[in-house]
Amino acid sequence: MIAITVDLFVKYFGMFMEGMGYTLYMAAITVFFGTIFGTLICLVRSVKFPPVRWLAVAYVEIVRGTPLLLQMYLAYFLLPEIVNFDISKMQSVLVALIMNSAAYVSELIRAGIQAVDKGQAEAARSLGLSSVLTMKEIILPQAIKNILPALGNEFISIIKESSLGSSFFVGELMTVRSLLTGALYLTIEPLLIAGCLYFFLTFTLSKLIGVFERRLAVSD
Amino acid sequence: MIKVVDLHKNFGDLHVLKGISEEFSQGEVVSIIGPSGSGKSTFLRCLNLLETPTSGQIFFEGADITAKGIDIDKHRQKMGMVFQHFNVFPHKSVLENITLAPVLLKKKTKEEAQKQAMELLQRVGLADKAQEYPKRLSGGQKQRLAIVRALAMEPDVMLFDEPTSALDPEMVGEVLAVIRDMVRTTGLTTIIVTHEMGFAREISDRVLFMDEGVIAEKGTPQEIFGNPQNPRTKEFLSKVLNA
Repeated sequence: MIAITVDLFVKYFGMFMEGMGYTLYMAAITVFFGTIFGTLICLVRSVKFPPVRWLAVAYVEIVRGTPLLLQMYLAYFLLPEIVNFDISKMQSVLVALIMNSAAYVSELIRAGIQAVDKGQAEAARSLGLSSVLTMKEIILPQAIKNILPALGNEFISIIKESSLGSSFFVGELMTVRSLLTGALYLTIEPLLIAGCLYFFLTFTLSKLIGVFERRLAVSD
Repeated sequence: MIKVVDLHKNFGDLHVLKGISEEFSQGEVVSIIGPSGSGKSTFLRCLNLLETPTSGQIFFEGADITAKGIDIDKHRQKMGMVFQHFNVFPHKSVLENITLAPVLLKKKTKEEAQKQAMELLQRVGLADKAQEYPKRLSGGQKQRLAIVRALAMEPDVMLFDEPTSALDPEMVGEVLAVIRDMVRTTGLTTIIVTHEMGFAREISDRVLFMDEGVIAEKGTPQEIFGNPQNPRTKEFLSKVLNA
C-alpha cells in the first residue's frame, strides 16, 4: 500500500500540486473577501438603529447555524437564477465560502475589539477624542493584535472546509482525490496523499502563525 | 465652574446617585470621600459624562453638558481625568501617549506638543522614559504619565478617580507628590475621589462625604475631619482613621 501511495504521488504529482494550488487560492480569496465583508457586518452590528443591527445578528446566526455544504448547494442552484451572467461552479462555491466566512470573521473582529480593556476607550474619550478617533487610534491598533492570529486560524479552517467544494468538482485537492479514485479504482491511497498534503499545509501555517503571534506579543 | 443640579443615576434597579446638587468653583480643590459603593466614583464619572446621568443637569463653564445635541468631546477637552487603573495606551510610547490628543485634536503642532510633553515629563521625573513603552513603567510611573497626559490638553478642571488605589504602597507617595505639585503650581480646579484621608485633609479646600448616593456632609477639611456632625461621617472616619 505504501509503495502504491508513493508511486501514485510521484506519477500524479502535477495534479496534486494543482489541487493544492486551488485549495490555497480558495482559502486566500475567502479570507480576503471574508475579512472585508466580516468587517462590514461588524460595522452594521454597531449601528445605533436596532432593526438594522438585528439584520446583521440574524445573518451571523443563520450562517453559523446551517451547514456550509447546504450553503454551497444553495449558492450553486440559486445564484444562476439571480445573476444575469454565467457563473462558474468555482464562483458559486467561493461565494458560499466567503459569505460563510464573513459571519465567522465578524465574530472574530467583535471578540478582538471587546477584548481591549474598557478603560482604554474611557481614557481616550476623557481626553476629548471622538468615538471614531478613539476606535481608529486606540481600540483598533490594539484589537488587531487579537484579530490577526485569529484570521490566520480562519485561513487554516477554510483550507479544510474548501474540501466541500469537491462535491461540485471545482478542482481543489479533494476533487483531485475523487478524480483519481474514479479513474484508477484506488480508494485509500489518494485519500492518504490528500490527507498528508492538507496536514502539511495546516501544520506549516499554524507554526507560522505561532511565530507571528510571539512577534506581536514582543512589541506590546 | 461646574454646577450639578439634582443628579440621579440608576444602573438597572440599582439607584446609585439619589439627587446630588453641588457647585465647584474656579481654582477649588475638592476631595470626595466615603465608603465603597457610596457612589463617589459614579458621581465623578458623571461630571464628564463617562456615565450618562439618568436625570439631572450638569453645567460646565455655563454650558449644560447634559443637554441633547451638545458636543461633549469639545467640553471633555477641558476636563482632564485620571483613572484608578491608569489606562495609559500600551501601543504608544510615553511621549506619544502625551502628544496624541493635543496633536489629533489640532490644539498643537507635533513639535509644540513634543516640547510641552518633555517639559511635563521633566516635572514628574520621567523625562528619561520618553521613548519607552508603558509596559516598562512601574505603576507609579504609569499614573504619573496618565496625569501628564491629561495636563497636556491644558484642561480647566482635573478629575481624579481614586488615583492611588491600584498602586503598591511604596508608590502612593510619588503620585500624591505629583498631584500636590500640580495643585500648587497650576491652581487648577481639582476634584479627587480618594481613600487617602491624610492627603485629602492636607490638599483640599473642601471635602464632600458621600454615603448611599447622596452628599451626607460637606465642609472644610478641619470641619469634616476635626468635628464631623453627621453620625455616618463619624462612623466612616473612625473606621478608616483607626484602621
